[in-house]
Amino acid sequence: MSANVISMRDALYEEPGPKTRRRILVGTIVASIAVAALFVFIAWRFYVTGQLSPKYWSFFTKVSTWRYLGQGLLGTFQVALTAGAISLVLGVLFMLGRISRNKVGSAIFRVVVNFFRGIPSLLLIYFFFLVIPSYGIKMPAFWMLALPISLTASGVLAEVFRAGVNAVPKGQREAALSLGMSEGKVMRKIILPQAIRFVIPSLISQLVVVVKDTTVAYVVSFPDMLQNARVLITNYDALVSTYFVVAIIYILINYAINQASVAVARRSGAKVIARTEEEPI
Amino acid sequence: MGLQELLSTYGDMYVQALLVTWRMTAIAFAGAMLLALLVTVARVSPIKPLRKLGDLYVQIFRNIPGVSLLIICVYALPHLKVVLDYGVCVILTTTLVASAFGSENFMSGINTIGVGQVEAARSLGLSFGQILRQVVIPQALRSAVLPMTNLLIAVMLTTALGSQVPLDPPELTGLVSYINTRSVGGILAFFISAIGYAGTAFAIGIVGNQIDKRVRILR
Repeated sequence: MSANVISMRDALYEEPGPKTRRRILVGTIVASIAVAALFVFIAWRFYVTGQLSPKYWSFFTKVSTWRYLGQGLLGTFQVALTAGAISLVLGVLFMLGRISRNKVGSAIFRVVVNFFRGIPSLLLIYFFFLVIPSYGIKMPAFWMLALPISLTASGVLAEVFRAGVNAVPKGQREAALSLGMSEGKVMRKIILPQAIRFVIPSLISQLVVVVKDTTVAYVVSFPDMLQNARVLITNYDALVSTYFVVAIIYILINYAINQASVAVARRSGAKVIARTEEEPI
Repeated sequence: MGLQELLSTYGDMYVQALLVTWRMTAIAFAGAMLLALLVTVARVSPIKPLRKLGDLYVQIFRNIPGVSLLIICVYALPHLKVVLDYGVCVILTTTLVASAFGSENFMSGINTIGVGQVEAARSLGLSFGQILRQVVIPQALRSAVLPMTNLLIAVMLTTALGSQVPLDPPELTGLVSYINTRSVGGILAFFISAIGYAGTAFAIGIVGNQIDKRVRILR
């Protein structure tokens, strides 16, 4: 995508002449100063409120701090990967139900998919945390987090998979049917393998949403990275620095996932499904 | 608790909660669109530092978890002597995150226009501002309708972050936990909120599709 962006960005203006070049230079200088001023201002806010004092940052040089955050990160990854795996399976099932030729079944799955796509994962987490236990069902914190996250993700993935299936040319299905393959076999052997290849980049970037969703782990008191950060904060009384460092770690992880998605999309070639069906945030 | 009892006790609160969710969604989405437009203009401007800053902005806010940003806004900013109201923090968090995705939608809208059109506009002698205003932005807006519809739904779902701070009156998700800490709301208490969300999302989707059908540019 980025190659595309650059070319369009550059197409917007002429090779600048001397006057424009001077104007751009002035603009660049002014903008640089403004940007620098912005960062200086932020640093200044930290400084005048005493947040740059070493007592707030020195514990980040300790191995134990990073080990503890790492443990939390491991918990984050466990939930994210488990939820991701479950939502892959559920997503395919929901999609198959949604496109089935059985009118009633298709209608039911349509409601199910739109329901899970249309509610916040937090609401579903509260459902697993508050409502289900009141019916006498006990569940470990891990699953109270992983199940609701995977349910909301599978609603989104069902639509992603459906876009993938729709992208497989119709003629292939007709050709396979005329060769005598059954509907199920056509789906398994012809359509799904291609559809899944089309949507792999979207699947990877959906992992970002799952990772973000795990940050509400403290609701069910599961030790993810953010939860462990809270413990660090009470230990070292360094709230601002810890929350900023943790936020940066999350940003880097999600950035890496997004880059992986872009790289896979570029490598897999021309045909990649538009990502409009995804739920972005 | 039966449906009758639930509605007679908490019916008004559900209506209020739905209105709170809608209000926060509307404010955050409007703010996000405005910010996204600004950021996008910065990202396509000929001034390098602005481009880089716009790209950095988008990468930060599309990758930060909403909860993490909300926590910074609610708990960390007061230490930097910036104190914001709980409700403002929720709306601000949602706006910032949504504006990053909004800018990405605009950028891909711009990319669908095609270099040829811009070159044609330039050879007609249109200035950068004119090209943006008269050629690029109108088309980018039209092809961004569907992604922005999805973004609006996502903004609504993100306002559920409001359940993590004390809001008065609470929004739809906060209300479920409010009810369940006072009485056994059961599945129904959850379902009413869920239908509030899913119903709104459904309505937004229909309207968005209608608008898209009317303004989409067929290529």
